[in-house]
Amino acid sequence: MTTLVHQSEVSSPAPVPAKSLITKLNIVTGFIVGAIFCWGTYYALRAGRDMTDTHNVNKVLIISMFMWSLGFMIGIGALIGPFRWLIGKDLTPEEELYMSGEGQGMKRYFKFCTDHKVVGIQYLVAVMVLLGAGGTMAMMIRTNLARPGSHLVLPQIYNSLVGLHGITMIIAMIIALTGPLGNFILPMMIGARGEAFPRLNAVSFWLLFTAIPVLCSAWFLGGIPTGWSAYAPLSTQAGPGMNAFLVTIIIFAISTAVAGTNITTTVITMRAKGMRFNRVPIFVIGCTISVALAVPAFPTFMAAMVQTGMDRTISTGFFDANVGGTGWLYANLFWIMGHPEVYVILLPGVAALLEMLPVFTRKPLFSFPMAVAGMAGIAGMSALVWAHHMYMSGWMPALNGPFMVTTEFISFPTGLLFLVFVGTLWRSRPWLKFPMLCVYAMMWNLLIGGITGVYVSDVPLDGTLHGSMFVTAHFHYTIMGAALSGAVGAIAYWFPKLSGRMLNERASYISFWFVQIGLNVLFMGMFLVGAEGQARRVANYSEQFAGGNLVSTIGAYSVGVGMLVFLWAIIHSAGKGAIAPANPWGAKTLEWTVPYPAPVENFSEEQVVTSDPYGFGKRVSK
Amino acid sequence: METTAQSKSRSLITGLLTIALGVLAVTSVGVVLHHSSADPQPKEYATIKGTIVGPDGKTYPHAFLKDGVYPDPVSSKAHGTCATCDGGHPSWPSYGPYTHFVLPAHTYVTIDLVVYDSGGNLNTPYFGNVVGTVAGTATYDGVTKANLDPTAVEHTWTLHGVPTTTQDPLFVNVPLPMNTDSEMKAYNDDPTKLPKGHIVEFSFITGGKGEYLWNCEYPCGDTSYQGFGAVMGSAAGYMGGKVSVI
Amino acid sequence: MSSDSLEEMKPTPGQRIRSFVQRKDVMQTFVLGIVITAGFTLMGLYAYPNWMPAVHSKEMHSARLIMTIFTVLSAPIAGLVLAVAVRAFLNMHHGDTPPPDSELSERSNTPAILVWCFSTGAFVVAAIAIGLLAYNSDTNSAVADAPDAITVDVTGAQWAWSFYYPAQNIQTHTLELPSGQPVDFHVKSVDVNHSFWPVQLGVKVDANRIVTTTAETRPTTLGPIDIRCAELCGLNHAVMETSGAVVSASDFANWVNSIKASGGVQQ
Repeated sequence: MTTLVHQSEVSSPAPVPAKSLITKLNIVTGFIVGAIFCWGTYYALRAGRDMTDTHNVNKVLIISMFMWSLGFMIGIGALIGPFRWLIGKDLTPEEELYMSGEGQGMKRYFKFCTDHKVVGIQYLVAVMVLLGAGGTMAMMIRTNLARPGSHLVLPQIYNSLVGLHGITMIIAMIIALTGPLGNFILPMMIGARGEAFPRLNAVSFWLLFTAIPVLCSAWFLGGIPTGWSAYAPLSTQAGPGMNAFLVTIIIFAISTAVAGTNITTTVITMRAKGMRFNRVPIFVIGCTISVALAVPAFPTFMAAMVQTGMDRTISTGFFDANVGGTGWLYANLFWIMGHPEVYVILLPGVAALLEMLPVFTRKPLFSFPMAVAGMAGIAGMSALVWAHHMYMSGWMPALNGPFMVTTEFISFPTGLLFLVFVGTLWRSRPWLKFPMLCVYAMMWNLLIGGITGVYVSDVPLDGTLHGSMFVTAHFHYTIMGAALSGAVGAIAYWFPKLSGRMLNERASYISFWFVQIGLNVLFMGMFLVGAEGQARRVANYSEQFAGGNLVSTIGAYSVGVGMLVFLWAIIHSAGKGAIAPANPWGAKTLEWTVPYPAPVENFSEEQVVTSDPYGFGKRVSK
Repeated sequence: METTAQSKSRSLITGLLTIALGVLAVTSVGVVLHHSSADPQPKEYATIKGTIVGPDGKTYPHAFLKDGVYPDPVSSKAHGTCATCDGGHPSWPSYGPYTHFVLPAHTYVTIDLVVYDSGGNLNTPYFGNVVGTVAGTATYDGVTKANLDPTAVEHTWTLHGVPTTTQDPLFVNVPLPMNTDSEMKAYNDDPTKLPKGHIVEFSFITGGKGEYLWNCEYPCGDTSYQGFGAVMGSAAGYMGGKVSVI
Repeated sequence: MSSDSLEEMKPTPGQRIRSFVQRKDVMQTFVLGIVITAGFTLMGLYAYPNWMPAVHSKEMHSARLIMTIFTVLSAPIAGLVLAVAVRAFLNMHHGDTPPPDSELSERSNTPAILVWCFSTGAFVVAAIAIGLLAYNSDTNSAVADAPDAITVDVTGAQWAWSFYYPAQNIQTHTLELPSGQPVDFHVKSVDVNHSFWPVQLGVKVDANRIVTTTAETRPTTLGPIDIRCAELCGLNHAVMETSGAVVSASDFANWVNSIKASGGVQQ
C-alpha cells in the first residue's frame, strides 16, 4: 500500500479577479445585510400596525424572517451569478475559479464556495452543531423526566424543548450523511470532477445556515407548544415562536430540494466512463434514493407550513374546522412527508454500512441487486404508508386496513437489506475496526426498531401503543440507533478522506460503548413505560412510571458522555491524528485513489470503471 | 519531540476536559432554563379561623382565602400586593393578586372571589356547572346556585389533579358570573375604573397533601383559535395556577 | 447457505442439505440462533404481557395477545440475523492492516435468497393476516354490539375531560362503565386536537373540533381505568388526565342514581 505524504494546504493561489465584488463578500457581509433586511423590514412593517393583534404580529415576524434569509444570501454573494447573467455580464472564468475557493485556506469555509468538498465540511460542522444542540435539549428533557413531579422547567419550556429537540434532530439527521458525505465523497466515488450544479450546492448549504438563527429565535419568541409535528389547530393557536418554526421548515424544504436535485443530477449525469448502474457503489445508490425521495416529500411539509402561516396571518382557515377547514388536512400533508422522511434519514446510513461491509469482511457484497431492490422497495412503499400515523385520528377508519397492509409489507424490502447484511457476514471473519462495530450496532438497533415497528403498524395494537412512549422508543431505535450509528460509522470510515488523518480508535471504542449501551438502556426503559401506558410528550407523569423513566435518564446521560468522547475524537484526530495512508481500509471504490488534500477537480484524468467495487474474495466467482 | 506516553496523557487530559466542558455546557443550559422556570406565581396562604361541621357530619378546621379576577393584571396589582403578576403582559386578563393557593390538608376551605371582567360563551357548557364544592353550589352575590347560564360566564375556576397515583383526587369547578357591557362601560372608557364586581363564594374540603393545577375554561385568550391563545395557552400565572395542599 | 462441495461429483439435493447442516459453522450458527430465538420468545411470552396495562376489555386482550404473537413470530428471524452476526463477531480478525481476502467470493445464492424471501414473506403475510383478522373482529363486534351499547359523549377541552351519558342524562368528570355492556364513545373537542385514551380499555381516538369521532369497546373485567390525553394539546397536556372504573351493572346503576339525585351533575 502506498502512503501519502501530506501536501501543503495552500497550493498555488488562484488569481484574484480584480475589483470583483465576490472577493469582498463572506459570512460577515451576509450577517450584516441579513440583519439590515430583517430589522429594516420589522420596523417598517410595525409602523402604523396594531401590534396587539396576533395576526399582525405573525405577519411582521414571518416576513422579517424571510427577509433575513434573503438578505443573508445576497450579502454572502449567492445571487451574484444570476444577477450578472441577467444584466448580460456573466461571471468571468477567474471569478468562477475564485468562487471554487482554490488556495484560499480556511477563509473559503466562510464564503459562498462552490467546491463540493468545502460544502461537505461546512455541512459536517453544521450537523455536529445541530446534534450538540439537539442533544443538549434531550438531556434537559430526560433530566426533567428523571423523577415524577419534577420541576426542572416549567411546562411551557418543557413543551418547547420537546418540539425543538425534535426538529433540530430531524434536520440534523436528514443532512447527517447526504450533507457532508453526499457532497464531499459521493462525487469522488463516481469519478466526477465536481457536482452538477456547484452554485446550487453552495446555495443549499447557506440556505440551511440561514434557517438556524430563525429556529433559535423560536426560543426568544416564547417557544413552540406543538412538538415538531406542529399539528394544527394547536399551531394556529400557538404564540409567536411558531412563526420561527414554520419559516425554518420552508427555508429547509427549499434547501433540501436544491440539494436533492443537485445530487440526483450528479449521479445520473456525471458518473465515470464504464460506471453502469450495476457498478455504482451502494452508498451512492442509497444517497440518491434518499434525496430523490426527499425531493417530492418535503414540498408537502412546506405546503402545510405555508397554509399554517396563512391561517395565522390572514385567517384563511385551512385547518380551522369553524370555517370549514380540517386539522386532518394538516395531518395528511405532514405525514405524506413524515413517513418517507424516516427513510430519507435511514437509507444513507444503511447504505454507508453496506458500502463498508465488503471492505471489512473482505468478501463481495452479497446480492447487490437485492440491496438495490430493498432500498428502492422501501422508498417506493414509503410513499404509501403515511396514514398509519393516523389510525387513531378518526380521519378515515375504513382506510386503516389498507394502510396496515402497506405498512406491514414494508418489512419485506427492509428484510432484503438484512439479507444482504447476513449474506455478506455469513462465514466471514470481519476486520474488527470501529466502522465495523457500527455495522453491528445498526443491525441490532434496526432489528429492535423494525420489530417494534410491526407492533405499532397493527391497528388493534396501536389502539394502546399510539401516542405513548413506546412509539417514541421505537422511532429512536430506528433514527438514532440505526441511522445515527450508520452516520457515525460512515464519518469514521471516510474520516481519512475528509481530514487526511485516522480517527482516534481508542476514543471511538470508548464512545461506542457509552453510546450503544446507553441508548439501549434509555430506550428499553422507554419501551417499558410506553407499554405500561405513559403518553408521549408529557412534562409530568404518574409514580407508576418512575422506575422506567429513571433508567431512561441514566441511559441518556451515558449517551451524552459517549457523544462528547466522539466529539473529542473528531476534533483531536482532525488536528493530531495519525496521518492516514491513501487507502487505509483497502477499499476498491474510486474516492480512495484521490490524493489528500484533494485537488479542486478531484481527478487529474478521466476515470474508467470496468467492474463494481466489491471484487473481494479469493475464489473466482462463478 | 514528544514521547508517546506524553502524547497519550495529553490526549487523556484533553479528552476528560472535553467531557467536563460538555457536561458544564449542558448543565449551564439546564441552570439557565431552571432559573427562567422559577415559579413567578405569588402564593397566598389560606388562614384558619375556627372550625365548621362538614356535610359528612365531621368537624373540620375552617380556612379562608380571597382573590380577584381582573380584566388585566395591572388592575389586579392596583387592588392587591402583587409586585410581579403583570409579567410583562399588561393587556392579559388575570386572577390576582394571587394565582398559587396554599391550603391546609383535610380542611374546609372557603374561597371568596371578586370578579371584575366581562365574559360570554363557554367552549364547554359542562363548565357552567358548580362541581366538587360543598353541596355542589356556590353563592353569587349572596344567591346560592348550582350552575350559571353557560352563555354568560366570565371565567371559571377549574381545579384538577396532576398525574399521580398517590394524591387524593380533587376536582372543583366554579363558573364565575360576567359583568355586563353596561357594567364594563366605565372600565372600557377608563381602565383605572373597575366595575363594582360580583362576589362569588364557594367551599370545598381538601384531602391529603398534594399538588394540583387549576385553569380557566372560559376562552379568554387571544382570537387566534378558540380563544385559547396567548394568556390561556402559553403561560401559567394569569388564568391558570397551582393549588398546594400542605 | 452455500455448499462447499459443489465442485465435486454433483451430489443429490438431499446429500447437499445433509452435508450443509452437518458443517461446523452451520451447527454453531444454528445453536446460537436457537438460543437467541428462545430469548426473544421468552420476552414475548412473559415480559411484554407483564408490562402492558391490566386487561379490562376485549380490545386490550387482543392487543396483548397480538404483541405476544408478533414477538414469537419474529423471534426466529431475529435469531437467524443475530446468530450469523454473533458468529462472525466471535471470529473477528484483529490487526492494523486490512486482512487477506476471504476464502469466499460468492455474490449470490439463489436458494438462500428464496428461503429468506419465503420466510420473511410468510412473516409479513402472517402479521397482516393476524392484524386484519383482529381488526375485523373488533370492528364487527362493535357493529354487532351497537344496539345494546351504552353511549358516552366525551368532550376534550384544554385541559380537562368531561363526559355526558345521553341515555342516563348525567354529566360527569370521571368515567364509570358497566362490565359486559358494549360502550360507544362519541368523542369531540372544543378547541385543539386531543386524543381520548382510556388506557386499560385498549382503545384510543382523537378528539377534533366540530366532527365527532367514535371508539367502541366492551369492558370485561372490573377495575380502575386511567384516562389520559395522547395528543400534545399545549401547555398542560401532561395533566389532562382523569380516572374511571369498570364496575358491575348494579354499581353502575347506583352511581347513575346518585348523580341524578344531585341534579344530574357529578359532584
